[in-house]
Amino acid sequence: MSHKWGLAVDLDRCTGCEACVVACRAENNIPTAGEDQAARGRTIQWIRVERTWEGDFPNPKVRFQPVLCQQCDAAPCEPVCPTYASYHTEEGLNGQVYNRCIGTRFCANACPYTVRSFNFFNPAWEKPLNLQLNPDVSVRSVGIMEKCTFCVQRIKSAEILAESEKRELKDGEFTTACAQSCASKALVFGDLNDPNSEVTRMATSNRATKLLGELGTKPNVTYLERGTWQDATNS
Amino acid sequence: MERRNFLKISALTGVAATLDACHAPDKQLIRFVQEEDLVPGIATIKPSICTLCSAGCGLEVRVMQGDAEVIRNGQTGIIKMGLAKKLEGNPRSPVNQGKLCARGQAGLQVLYHPDRITHPIQRTGARGSGEFQQISWDDAIKEVSSHLSGLQTSKSMSGLSFLARPLRGQRRELIGKFLKAFGAPPAVWYEPFDEAVLRQANLLSFGHAALPTLNLGRADYVLSFGADFLGTWNSPVSQSIGYGAMRQGRAGRRAKFVQVESRMSQTGANADEWIACKPGTEGALALGIAHVILREKLAPNSAASRAGAQIAGWAAGLPKYTPQVVEKQTGISAAVITRLAHEIARSGAATAFAGGAPLAQTNGLFNALAVNALESLVDAGRETGSNSGPILSFAPDVPTSIAAKLETSQASLASLTALAKATPQMLLLYDANPIYFAPAATKIREAIAKIPYVVSFGSFIDETSAQADLILPEHAPLEQWLDGQPESGSTQAYISVAPPAVAPLHNTRPMTDVLLGLAHQLGGDFAKALPWTSFDAMLKAAYTALRTQDASMKTKTDDEFWTAVQKDGGWVGASPTAQARSAAATSKSASISASGIQSEPEFAGAAADFPFYFQPYVSQSLGDGSTANLPWMQELPDVLTTAMWSSWVEINQKTAAKLGIQQGDLVEIQSTQGSLRVPAVLSPGIAPDLIAMPTGQGHEDFGRFASKRGANPLAILALVTEGKTGSLAWAATRVKITRVGGPEQAKLVLFSGGLSGFPHEEESR
Amino acid sequence: MNLRKGLLIGVGVAGVAVLAAFAFPTHAASSSATDEFVTRGIFTPAHPTAVDAFQDFFEVHPEHPAQPIAYTHKIHLLNGMQCVTCHVGVDQGPEAQIPNVTVCMTCHVAIDTDNSEIKKIAAYQARGEAIPWVRVYNYSDSAHVMFNHAPHIRAGVDCVQCHGDMTKQTTAERKVNLNMGYCVECHKQKQVSVDCATCHY
Repeated sequence: MSHKWGLAVDLDRCTGCEACVVACRAENNIPTAGEDQAARGRTIQWIRVERTWEGDFPNPKVRFQPVLCQQCDAAPCEPVCPTYASYHTEEGLNGQVYNRCIGTRFCANACPYTVRSFNFFNPAWEKPLNLQLNPDVSVRSVGIMEKCTFCVQRIKSAEILAESEKRELKDGEFTTACAQSCASKALVFGDLNDPNSEVTRMATSNRATKLLGELGTKPNVTYLERGTWQDATNS
Repeated sequence: MERRNFLKISALTGVAATLDACHAPDKQLIRFVQEEDLVPGIATIKPSICTLCSAGCGLEVRVMQGDAEVIRNGQTGIIKMGLAKKLEGNPRSPVNQGKLCARGQAGLQVLYHPDRITHPIQRTGARGSGEFQQISWDDAIKEVSSHLSGLQTSKSMSGLSFLARPLRGQRRELIGKFLKAFGAPPAVWYEPFDEAVLRQANLLSFGHAALPTLNLGRADYVLSFGADFLGTWNSPVSQSIGYGAMRQGRAGRRAKFVQVESRMSQTGANADEWIACKPGTEGALALGIAHVILREKLAPNSAASRAGAQIAGWAAGLPKYTPQVVEKQTGISAAVITRLAHEIARSGAATAFAGGAPLAQTNGLFNALAVNALESLVDAGRETGSNSGPILSFAPDVPTSIAAKLETSQASLASLTALAKATPQMLLLYDANPIYFAPAATKIREAIAKIPYVVSFGSFIDETSAQADLILPEHAPLEQWLDGQPESGSTQAYISVAPPAVAPLHNTRPMTDVLLGLAHQLGGDFAKALPWTSFDAMLKAAYTALRTQDASMKTKTDDEFWTAVQKDGGWVGASPTAQARSAAATSKSASISASGIQSEPEFAGAAADFPFYFQPYVSQSLGDGSTANLPWMQELPDVLTTAMWSSWVEINQKTAAKLGIQQGDLVEIQSTQGSLRVPAVLSPGIAPDLIAMPTGQGHEDFGRFASKRGANPLAILALVTEGKTGSLAWAATRVKITRVGGPEQAKLVLFSGGLSGFPHEEESR
Repeated sequence: MNLRKGLLIGVGVAGVAVLAAFAFPTHAASSSATDEFVTRGIFTPAHPTAVDAFQDFFEVHPEHPAQPIAYTHKIHLLNGMQCVTCHVGVDQGPEAQIPNVTVCMTCHVAIDTDNSEIKKIAAYQARGEAIPWVRVYNYSDSAHVMFNHAPHIRAGVDCVQCHGDMTKQTTAERKVNLNMGYCVECHKQKQVSVDCATCHY
């Protein structure tokens, strides 16, 4: 069966703990920018937790939303890349081929979700922090764009294993680093082509929405709206 | 050939040939023969235990072969060894069930930290000068031995002090036995945010001196008073799992969550209703709600049984806590109090609990008892069948032969101030940094300066270990045998045990083996008390007793059992046997409760001079400051303010406008004990007369990522305590604020927008 | 000599001089305060020296590098050993392991012990050192190739196809030009995916 990878984010479960952010950083060799570069807005976060404040004391309301590459079916970052480094893979991912990237940054410009990060400098790890680097993931150097890959290394590993055992992949057999760490199970990863998978069930929920779906990007990340809160005030 | 090609080829080969010899320095290091049998590129998964907070979650470590630079016999070289690449939650741990929090993920950076001390060092310059020299382990052990023998010779064994963070499990046993055999006083267990008040309250209300285990997945209504249960309080991962379930884990049922606090925490941001309550009046609010429930007979008085008996006036229906009276105390309207009472009493399965700032007041015990009484009233386990039972319960005891004993009588702060006054002859430090973690008013820094000999088992130079005479660096947690008995988070009896996941990287030794080695050398009484030569032998001896007490692992011999336990990362009891609250209200407990528990909060600093309440709060990324040296944690944006690599103070937007403070301005916060300067962040989620500051920064000395960065709120806290337990009332200090500078002086780094305070290259052109 | 030739030679000499100046490490080890007892140095994907960068860019790597031990594949294979006897893991995971010195000594503690090369191996083991083999097959870091041996071995691809006939080799030689075209050709023939993400991620 051919796969189409997707992710569902249940905003009613997300607590804003940012475990996903650190898990992704650890899994994907994301460099630490340091204070100076962070102040220049050059931190790299493949997944980030956005928060929106509404209202004022004593009734402020906050909403958390993890934002990551939406792996759009009609990705605006793909047609603008002059070297075909940003392209669509056979399994529905928006792939980033690091060795083709020449750093024009048109893709980051085109992306409405601001999920693409650029390596403004060669990342450095003070030894022995580099011993933690994941050998299954490339270490990107200066001048390369990067973004969430839906942990493509885990996808490949699982597919190779399933093939060696001559069987199909099972739903939940493997998952992305962010979804694996999420304690409240807000993040669910899986195959949208599998009608029985958890992610398909969530993507077809009556709470399902797409982020900036009206732009026509056809994201493969589905957000499930928060439950209603009871609007009592403190008056 | 063409000249062009000739030149190109000769240039290429010529340069390559002449400079072939010059290569990266790495290629000139020798390679040691590998000691481990690992296939490259293939991961093995090993169990371990997370030690970054007291929840005690189980870990799975992904280990893969890689090249590491090590020093063997003084020579630097490269060796292929198993390296820890990723941490995940251990699915077999009933506490975290395969999940892991943000700080837990960063545990890898403790292991591979560039500031780890790589071999024993001895002070050569003055204390605090940072001048140390490397010595061998043999010499280091001789040093410690001779000092210990010296104490024995001069019959001043009581002059030995051991200071550590609270532990549960065999490490606690080992330290206790060592000190007892030596004749020294018991260890001093110190942590800044100890939960002595909550444990004492739970003992009085429920008969268990322990942190509660919350089965939130069963709840229809959660009323939390100040507890950051999704972030930093009690067992956050376990509670987050329950939270997800209570929201969307059951078809057709979604729990309502109400958070009562003065400053919106990460947890509070998820609430359906957020209620700002005057600091220290949370107990009154709980009793106001209980009053309505009792008055309208929405639940029987007797439902609260023992917990209710702790509250004066409970049997009479709490006449002093009418909604109108409580409104004046708390600032929350009588209508809201009444409505909350109706909601919680009428919902299916409800729970109420308190943690954090409400308990860190001079009337913290009162607040806790009040909330416990409300909890008892509403959490009567109305459901039937397999899902029945209270939401709040207590983790089952492990069999008594190996149960960790937790002394609840003395709060951390009292133990530390006692140590500061006692002037011991020799101090052993294990995972303890009181110069940073204790308020300056404890004068612990001055006390340590007077101690003749200080030995630290730490892995890092920090404020306290910088004052040590000798540092015996420890293995990182992933490199050593660990065990734990989580106090909460599991409804099944659970002990975690894990062998080392990776081989040691540096010339370090675990504290446990060093103590056992010293015991061996000192002989005599020690031989009987601590007959083991290594910590894993002690663990095996302690835990194999479980095999006969619980056959859930279906093993036939002790060795088989021990292998199985190591493979799983622990032992889990046969079936959920969570401990219910004790219903019996004994007359003994009634007499403890009736007398002398302060019901009104008091604050340090007169309101006229210090108009703001000051609330330090545990940082989501830096914890209480112990993970401040991890770069991933410094760069993790605070989820509410997006600040990173910084300290900041949160101020209500309108208050800031009145004081002329703008986003990113430098402000001075002054208490009766001292002052700090930090950038201000304007927030709508905080009471107008309160300011809040995260803990974690302000280290003078904690490595290259954390040193000289920001400020430490613990430093300016007054030594106000809760009356009965002596616990530090860390939310009871008042401060005043003054604007002292603009963003360019403040150095606040925000992830989204507002790069205030940082000069950019463009600006200087 | 005309002006153009002179200029070309001048530029060439200047180029060599510049490269020579940059042949030294391009990164200073991180130096923090007084500590000799904490780890130093930085890991970065940047090339450590200009020479490495040069070799990488122009793909100037010796095809038959000199190895510390004059190992002969020929003899071992003709004596009945298989590739996987020593190169363990090639059918399980991405990498083919180069055997540990203890593996060699398992046999050579008794076999051919008078050979000077065997004596060198024994000496390495006695010193607790691993033999510093020089890598023959590799991809440039900047190619970001994630090659995985296991699916190839399982699919029945013979070692000879990419590594050449080892019965004719002593120490390893790069006889086959493993450029992307070579990989893609075979993938197309066997009708395996040529999607970029198959190898580049």
